[in-house]
Amino acid sequence: MARMKFLCDADRCIECNGCVTACKNANEVPWGLNRRRVITLNDGQPGEKSISVACMHCTDAPCAAVCPTDCFYTTVDGIVLHDKDLCIGCGYCFFACPFGVPQFPQQRAFGSRGRMDKCTFCAGGPKEPGSAEEFEQYGANRIAAGKLPVCAETCATKALLAGDGDLIGEIFKERAMSRDERPHTWGWGKAYGESL
Amino acid sequence: MNRRSLTAAAGALALAVMLAGCYESPDARFFEAGEYRGAEDPLLTMLEDPEFREQLNRRFDGQRDR
Repeated sequence: MARMKFLCDADRCIECNGCVTACKNANEVPWGLNRRRVITLNDGQPGEKSISVACMHCTDAPCAAVCPTDCFYTTVDGIVLHDKDLCIGCGYCFFACPFGVPQFPQQRAFGSRGRMDKCTFCAGGPKEPGSAEEFEQYGANRIAAGKLPVCAETCATKALLAGDGDLIGEIFKERAMSRDERPHTWGWGKAYGESL
Repeated sequence: MNRRSLTAAAGALALAVMLAGCYESPDARFFEAGEYRGAEDPLLTMLEDPEFREQLNRRFDGQRDR
């Protein structure tokens, strides 16, 4: 069975934030929330690198492990989703997530966090796929329509890949092999310095 | 009915009301920790359909360079 993953090719990402904009637009993500963001390392310096980060849909998701209401579930493909009707906005998932993915709208009175929102891999939530109710709570369900997450399909340079981990790994490997040199973002040079 | 019996009846009623507030239902629901309790997602059934999976895989394969 497939394991759905995102992979961002740091050698191709040009920090256009197209993925962020497409995600916010397609899912009508409220003000103040970002399901995806672009992180730039060494911004403004020669050799800067950017990667687009969202929910990693972890195999053993720490958010699900700490949830007191057990509102998380994982599809057969490994997409980590949650039921907002069960979420109490306690924020434990935010503290547990190593990527800072869970977001809280904070649009209610008395500083209440509201129900948690995160990337759904454009797979909606536990409602009728494509229904207005599902869209209002979770955003678009493109997977049910046989499509990729909108961030990956929008990416102009195809830096952001989404899909079965084996397949996108193979695509990335093909790219890396066809380059005249290996990528420098995460490698021996990064680990041991320029003297290597 | 004199004042004393009225007071006694009111006191008994107040005591009954107060004790009723202490009642705890024995029908509590217990769940296993870590077990999803939310609504069922119809997408899970869709993902088990081989034809649908094939459609998804074709779409994913379109991410290759031209």
